[in-house]
Amino acid sequence: MFQPGGQLDDLRQGVRDWCASRVPEDWRDRQRGVTHAELVEFLRWWGGELRDAGLLAPHWPREWGGGFSIAEQVAIAEELARGDVPRNALFHVATFNVAPTLVHHATPEQLDRFLPGIRRGEVWCQGFSEPDAGSDLASLQTRAVRDGDQYVVTGQKVWTSWAREADWCMLLARTDPSASKHKGISCIIVDMRSPGIEVRPIKQVWGPADFNEVFFDEVVVPADHLVGDENNGWRVAQGTLAAERAVAILEMAERLRVNGIEAAVADVAAWRLEDGRPALDDDAVREQLAESYAQVHVLRHLLNSMIDGIIRGDDVGGTSSIIKVFYSEILLDLMRRLTDLQGVRGQLDAPVLACAGWETGFWMNDYLHAFGWLIGGGTNEIQRNVIGERLLGLPR
Amino acid sequence: MSLSIEERAELRSTARSVLARASSPEQVRAVTAGDGPGYDPGLWRQVVDLGWTAIPVDERHGGAGCGWADLAIVLHELGRALACSPFLASAVLATSAIQQADDGDLARSLLPALAAGELVGTVALAATDGSCDAACSTTTWRADGDGLVLDGAAGYVPDADLADLIVVTAVDAAGATAVVALARDAPGVRVERTPTVDATRRLFTVSFGGVVAGRERLLREPGAASAELAERVRSVGVVAASCDAAGAAERALERTAEYARERQQFGTPIGAFQAVKHHCADMAIAVEASRAATGAAAEALDGDPADWARVAAITSSYVGPACSQACALGLLVHGGIGFTWEHDAHLYLKRVKLDEVLFGTPSWHRRRLADAVFPALGASGGERTSRIRQT
Repeated sequence: MFQPGGQLDDLRQGVRDWCASRVPEDWRDRQRGVTHAELVEFLRWWGGELRDAGLLAPHWPREWGGGFSIAEQVAIAEELARGDVPRNALFHVATFNVAPTLVHHATPEQLDRFLPGIRRGEVWCQGFSEPDAGSDLASLQTRAVRDGDQYVVTGQKVWTSWAREADWCMLLARTDPSASKHKGISCIIVDMRSPGIEVRPIKQVWGPADFNEVFFDEVVVPADHLVGDENNGWRVAQGTLAAERAVAILEMAERLRVNGIEAAVADVAAWRLEDGRPALDDDAVREQLAESYAQVHVLRHLLNSMIDGIIRGDDVGGTSSIIKVFYSEILLDLMRRLTDLQGVRGQLDAPVLACAGWETGFWMNDYLHAFGWLIGGGTNEIQRNVIGERLLGLPR
Repeated sequence: MSLSIEERAELRSTARSVLARASSPEQVRAVTAGDGPGYDPGLWRQVVDLGWTAIPVDERHGGAGCGWADLAIVLHELGRALACSPFLASAVLATSAIQQADDGDLARSLLPALAAGELVGTVALAATDGSCDAACSTTTWRADGDGLVLDGAAGYVPDADLADLIVVTAVDAAGATAVVALARDAPGVRVERTPTVDATRRLFTVSFGGVVAGRERLLREPGAASAELAERVRSVGVVAASCDAAGAAERALERTAEYARERQQFGTPIGAFQAVKHHCADMAIAVEASRAATGAAAEALDGDPADWARVAAITSSYVGPACSQACALGLLVHGGIGFTWEHDAHLYLKRVKLDEVLFGTPSWHRRRLADAVFPALGASGGERTSRIRQT
């Protein structure tokens, strides 16, 4: 078990050695084209490995098994990326989204109740978006009606990642239909095994179906599953999650820097242009790849400056939107360039690798996958509104 | 020793308030008007008095002994203020060239005067056609007795008429680079201003007609060592120009956001419209990323010089184009008034467009970056590199 508070270099070396000893060298080959059930089984195994090593949630408070400083979290994220480990996709919502929200807003009893489960490997999903409440999330219509010591939940959620596997859902529901739209929402924890819940998978453009529609039909939830105050759910969900988001993106950015761009160049080195010349002999190709290389490095500088801001205690809310837009758009750009360069060969179908970063070498599919980053977690258009309003003080 | 975080914040705030008083857009316009001097001697004296020219110079040569990361703060603020001064030429280019000299006597004799602002220097790096590649230099040198003789001309030399010292890069018939510290008033040196679209900068063609220099004026042995020095000075120039661009774009962003908050159309501030808001957000993304990139690049200049070229290429590839695009959006958001000479939007755009290409185009830097960081290219990569050298 890795522990916080030691020498940073020792931690780095330790994680590096651990990656070398625990990650099967052929995991990428073995995971290409697997079924959803096989993918979930693999991700459960990988989450368990991280948990046993103490690396599942280094950002958590110390009393809950975390306590690593930001610098230590950065070192761990870097080493995991360099170790080219599988992405901890199945437990990401629980460890990076739900747990920090609970730590900020839940009661001590609720923490005792739910955090140990997350550490044991329970899967969580987030019930936020609805068919008629996407970018305008605050107009959500799923209702939670108080009835004595319980809520009765009815409505529909959509784009819910890992809902079929989830033990719990952190749900946003309307508890006061008469209040203005941001004010009548509450955050409630729902047991996904409750009667009245139906989950239907949604297949995504790049193949996998890790997200779902979730239907709630008079689902009964104990009232003590309310997180924060009733009708304060909007603020709870907005949460102060910037630090967690920064470190989570840092791992992705580092994957792109140390594996992605290198893999891309190595791949292109084997390609020929239509006139038979090696692709890397072409100035335009070299310039494009170098531009992406530079962008990936600038992204890292941007993340470093945000992390410095977090350590200083600055408000980095607007900056996290900048980083989300920057990362997703340079990613899409690189994937598009590679797809274009590959020509018609890039259009051949191939088995999908669902649990790597966003750069698996099946570039056309990685290109499709990358759109998810521009849309998910608040579309880039919404992020630009946030940047304009929060950072620049422009009117709504 | 580098400044602490608190000292850097103080330097930034001092610089900002000094320049707000000494280099306002109105003052910049007065200085750069047709009959004006093109730079502000008063501002230059103030900059010297504040000790900014001494920042990167070693204490044993009368400097403050701080680093490039500290100087980057001043460069950023000078860009914000569109400052018209020989700071880039003297405190950055000439100073870094002399610092890299192998000849200790040159450093001992020149650095204290550069640090104290008693001597103004500049560097002639580019060919008359603008090429920044040392091999393409249009200045030639040949050995002559104990010294050497320079002929030809260099282009795009900043503030050459103010300079007492011009550091010149030249090639001989065999293609060997020499870097020579010349007095501007040496016989045969002629400077001629080449007016630029960005009126806040002053560039010159410097020609050399049989200029004689003693061997003691060589910064390093001619050949690879001198080519390396020229390369390093260019890298410092790229980072410095990028700091300037980031500062100018930052100010353009502030002024644009202010306009978008106040200007009303259709009965509402235009910043409420997403088409305008998103332009502003794109400016903010470019500025934030450029600030992070230039900060990191300046830190890297305080590290291993072997990495400077790569750092400069990354910086050039991103910062120039991003800041230009930010200033272009700033002009657009202002609409009709932004298209007028009277409004300042064009001053920022022109400044960063020059910053973007002054030490080589982003596209040239990208190709060089590819040569440097895509090493495992096999035979074709090797041939590719040699083909560049031949042309």
